[in-house]
Amino acid sequence: MKKLVGVLVLLLVAASMSFGQAKVVVTEWQVPFLNSLTGAIAAIGEFLQWGAEYAAAEINAAGGIAGKPVKVIGVDTALDPQKGSVEMARLVKSSLVAMGPVPEPVIMAAMPIAVENEMVSITATTSFEYAKPYFPWTVSWFPPTLDRLPPLVVAWAKQFPAMKNVVQFVEPYGPWPGMAGAHSNALKTAGIKELTKVDVPSDAVTLGPLAVKAMAQKPEGVILVCNAEKAGKIVKELKNLGWKNMSQILVFSSADDPQLTNTAGADINGVQVYNYLNLATSNPRWDKFKVEFAKAHNGNPPFSLSPNYYDALYMIKEAIEKTGVTGDPKLLKVERKKIADYIANVKGFKGLLFDWDMKDGIPTNKPTYIFQFDQNGKKSLVMEVRP
Amino acid sequence: MPLSLYYYLAITAVNILMSWAIYLPYRVAHLHFITIANMTISGYLSGYLVMNLNMPFFWALLIGFAAGGIIGYIVSLFIGDAPTFAVVIVGFTFIYITRTVVENMPIIGGTMGMFGLPNIGGKPATHRYVILGILWALVVVVGFLIHRFDNSRLGKAASAVFVDKDLATSLGVDIKKLGQTLQVFSCIIAGGAGVLYGFIYKSFHLDFFTFHLVGIFMTTIFVGGYSTLWGTVLAAPILYGLPLLFPAEVQSWRIVIYGVILILVLMLKPEGFITRKFVHSIGIALSRKREKL
Repeated sequence: MKKLVGVLVLLLVAASMSFGQAKVVVTEWQVPFLNSLTGAIAAIGEFLQWGAEYAAAEINAAGGIAGKPVKVIGVDTALDPQKGSVEMARLVKSSLVAMGPVPEPVIMAAMPIAVENEMVSITATTSFEYAKPYFPWTVSWFPPTLDRLPPLVVAWAKQFPAMKNVVQFVEPYGPWPGMAGAHSNALKTAGIKELTKVDVPSDAVTLGPLAVKAMAQKPEGVILVCNAEKAGKIVKELKNLGWKNMSQILVFSSADDPQLTNTAGADINGVQVYNYLNLATSNPRWDKFKVEFAKAHNGNPPFSLSPNYYDALYMIKEAIEKTGVTGDPKLLKVERKKIADYIANVKGFKGLLFDWDMKDGIPTNKPTYIFQFDQNGKKSLVMEVRP
Repeated sequence: MPLSLYYYLAITAVNILMSWAIYLPYRVAHLHFITIANMTISGYLSGYLVMNLNMPFFWALLIGFAAGGIIGYIVSLFIGDAPTFAVVIVGFTFIYITRTVVENMPIIGGTMGMFGLPNIGGKPATHRYVILGILWALVVVVGFLIHRFDNSRLGKAASAVFVDKDLATSLGVDIKKLGQTLQVFSCIIAGGAGVLYGFIYKSFHLDFFTFHLVGIFMTTIFVGGYSTLWGTVLAAPILYGLPLLFPAEVQSWRIVIYGVILILVLMLKPEGFITRKFVHSIGIALSRKREKL
C-alpha cells in the first residue's frame, strides 16, 4: 500500500512538472553566429566556427536542446563593420539569441543593435571592456583586465627573484595597451622597475631596431603585448642580440597561437606565456574535442580561443532548458530576457575545460595558466593562477 | 522601417558621399585619400564634443564639417597643384598620422574606441529618421552642387586639367586654385560623413576608418564610372547591396565575386558603367521627349 502511494505521489509530481513546463514550438533551434569567416582573421573565424558546430553536433547526438536539434548558422561579417551592422539588423528581427560578433570593430558597430532590440548575443572572444557596454545583452567571457592580469604577472615575476626590471613591447591595438597597463600595475606590486615601454607599430615589418631599443635599457625581463607574428619575431631578435634567460620573456595570451611558434622556431624554447587554455587538462569531453580538433586541423592541438563558442552554445542550451524557453515567436521578447537573466548569473556552468560561475555577466572563478615552451615548441604547465 | 533597410540606406548614403569626396578631386587627377583621415578626425571630434562636453549633435556635426574644411584647406596650400602620386602619398601619410594620434589619446578612447554615443532626439527610432534625413538630404544637396560644377566653366576647366595640365594652364586655368577648391570641398563632405558614420553605429573605433574604405570608394567610382557623378549613384547601392543578397553558401566567395566584377568592368568598360557620353545621350533623349510633348 505504502509503495502504491509512493508511486502515485511520484506520478502526480511528474504530471504537475510536465504541466508547468511550456511546450517547445520550434522544430529546430537556429543560432546565428556573426563571425569573420573571410578577411584578415578568417583562420581564427574558422576554428571558432568549428568549435560552435562541433558543440551543435554533440548536443544533437545527445538529443538536442529541449528535445529539438540545434543548428549554428555562420553569418560572415568579413571583419567589416558595415556588413556586421546590416547582418545584426537582419537577425534581431526574429532570432531568439545569437553568438558573436567577432572581432572588436564589428562588436562596436553591431552590438548596439542587439542591445536596442534586447537580444542576447554572446561575445565570447573579446575582453571584458568591450563586452561591458552591452550588458545585460551579452556576457563577458573574461574578468576585468585590471583584475585578471596582475596576479598572473606577479606569479610569473616571483619565479625570478633576481629580476629587478622589465620592459614591455606594446602594440596599439584595441584592449592591448590596457592589458599592458595592467601588467605595469602588477610589476609595481611585485616591486619590479618597469623600463620605458617599446611601441610596436601595427604595420611594423622589421623588428630588429625595436629589440635594440629595448636591449639598450638592459632589461632583465620582457613582456610581449603584440600579435603572435611580431612576438615571434621579437623573440628571435632578442635571441640574436644575446638574450639568455628565455623564461624571463612572458608572452601575453592574445599572441598565443601557432604563428608564435612558427615564426620564432626553436628560439621559442623556454619562453613563458599566459593563457586560459590548458591542453594538459583531461576530461572525456575535452579529450574528445582535442582529438576531433586535431583531425580537422592538420594534427594541431586546439588553439587559444577554440573552446569559447563551444561553451557559448552549451550555455545557450542550458539557458533554454532551465528557463523553459519555447521558441514561440509571440514570446520572443520575454524569452530573450529569460536567456539574458539566466546566463548573466549562471552557477556551476560545465565548461569544456572547467566549471565556472557568472555574477552579473562576469566570470568569477575561471583559472588562468602560465606555460613554458619546451624543446619541441610544445607548452608545459608552469602553474595555475586562480583569482 | 525594417532595421536592416535603415542600415543599408544609411551606409549606402555615406558610401555615395565619400565616393563623391574622392571623385571631385579626381576631376583634376588628384586621388585625395586624406578624406579618410578627415572622416576619422571629424568623427572622433564630434563624438568627444557630444559625449564629454554635452554639445548638441547638430553643432557637433557643423564643427565636423568645418574641421574637415580647415584641414583640407591647410593641406591644399601645399598640394593644391601637386602631381597625383604626391597627393596619394600625402593622403596615406595623413591616415597613418591620424591613427597614431587617436591611438595615443585616451580622452577619446585611444585604441579601445568610443562607446555609447547617444540617440539624437532621445529615442532610437527618432535617431534613425534624423540620421537618414540628414544623410539623404546631403546626398541631394552635394549631388546638385557637383552636377552644377560638372556643367560649369570650372568643371570644363577641371576636365582640361585632367587631360593635360600644361594645356589647361595655357588656356588660363589657375590649376592650384582649382585643385584647392576641389580638395577643400571634398574634405568638408568627408568631415560631415565621418560624424554621421559614427552616429550610425553609435560608436567609434579606429578600424571603422581603415584602408578598406579606400578600396570600397575606389571600386564604387571605377565600376560606376569616374567621369560623372552618376556612376557613384549607381554603383554604391549595388556594390554594397549585392553581397548582402548572396546566400550563405556563396558568402565566403564574396571577395572573389567582387574582384571578378571589377576585373570584368575594367576590361570591358574601362571608363565604368556610366560615362559622360552616356549621360549626355540620355540628356538629349529626355529633352527630345520634352520637345515632342
